[in-house]
Amino acid sequence: MTTFGQRVRPSGGHAEDRAVERIVRRTFGTLTGRSGEPLLYAVMDGTPVGVLGLALGAAGLRRLTFVKDEDDFLARLLAELPDTPVLRSAKLDTVRRALDRYFAGRGFTFRTPVDLSEVTPFQKRVLRATAKVPAGKVSTYTAVATEAGRPHAARAAGNALHRNPVAIIVPCHRVLRGDGSLGGYGGGLDAKRFLLELEGVLL
Amino acid sequence: MSARRPATEDRIALLLAKHGAEMARHIRRIVRDDHATEDLLQDTLLRTQGALGLLRPGSNERAWLYRIGTNAALNHVRSRARELAALRRYAREADGTTSADAASPADAADRLTTDGDVRATLWARVATLPERQRVALTLRIANELDYAEIARRMGGTEAAARANVHQATKRLKRELR
Repeated sequence: MTTFGQRVRPSGGHAEDRAVERIVRRTFGTLTGRSGEPLLYAVMDGTPVGVLGLALGAAGLRRLTFVKDEDDFLARLLAELPDTPVLRSAKLDTVRRALDRYFAGRGFTFRTPVDLSEVTPFQKRVLRATAKVPAGKVSTYTAVATEAGRPHAARAAGNALHRNPVAIIVPCHRVLRGDGSLGGYGGGLDAKRFLLELEGVLL
Repeated sequence: MSARRPATEDRIALLLAKHGAEMARHIRRIVRDDHATEDLLQDTLLRTQGALGLLRPGSNERAWLYRIGTNAALNHVRSRARELAALRRYAREADGTTSADAASPADAADRLTTDGDVRATLWARVATLPERQRVALTLRIANELDYAEIARRMGGTEAAARANVHQATKRLKRELR
């Protein structure tokens, strides 16, 4: 699909890639009733924070999430998006490389756009507020709730962050409790601590 | 899992998501035809329904899909080669020639594996033949009937059946060169 062509160059022949994608999409339609723009996914094993599931749609990254394994991630994607074809793809290699650089301590350099169309407007505002917190800094649930226009909704902001579809890139790990304690994290508190230390935050 | 979809559809969606592109690429490189690839990929996936109990998540399912998909693709290529070889044989037969330089089935298979459009082109041409030629040729090649049987089924003489096949193959042979 040309949608991705501008961002990522396919490694194989273009004609073959296009034909293969067309065949798989048609097969999805025929056998499962899933049609339309496919969601592309990849799984990263053995990162310092465990196994990560990544999913890319036409409008940007839709998932960066902590998973048990590939089947676990796929089962969730297929259940959450019951009408969408889902395809393993090398087109996520750009994001994988940026994550590798990040985990190697070479900076937070994600340029792939994120697609937050699945969350509520308030959750989106919370996530946008969170995205403004730079690496090496932290914020609080109350502060991002305030930034999102609901100063008394710290708990709702916490829930929004818990539902963050693109962890790490929307850095919900940088949001802590007002008393400086860690709060919660979808990937586990060890992962939250690891990411903060990686970014030079002293806990 | 969602209640509105049968478990087998979810299972197929999962296999298709994980292995579909790789399988399609593999099958397509063997058969060199997009429509055939689609059919063979779907057949392969549908066959997993009967084998659900045998299939465990992980590398087993990939090996299983590869084996089934490869066999299906190779069978397809072989039957396609047989079809063309049969057509050429009947063409010569109807011509009354026994040319020494006639393509062997192996040559035909070689040509087919390097030119996936031949079969599609061939049957598209067959579809444009006059009705009696088309029916006679199809009975001869697809159903492998002899001329007496074709004559019996179509009504008419054996000579007329042979003439219809002859006219059809003459035209197709010219176009296949």
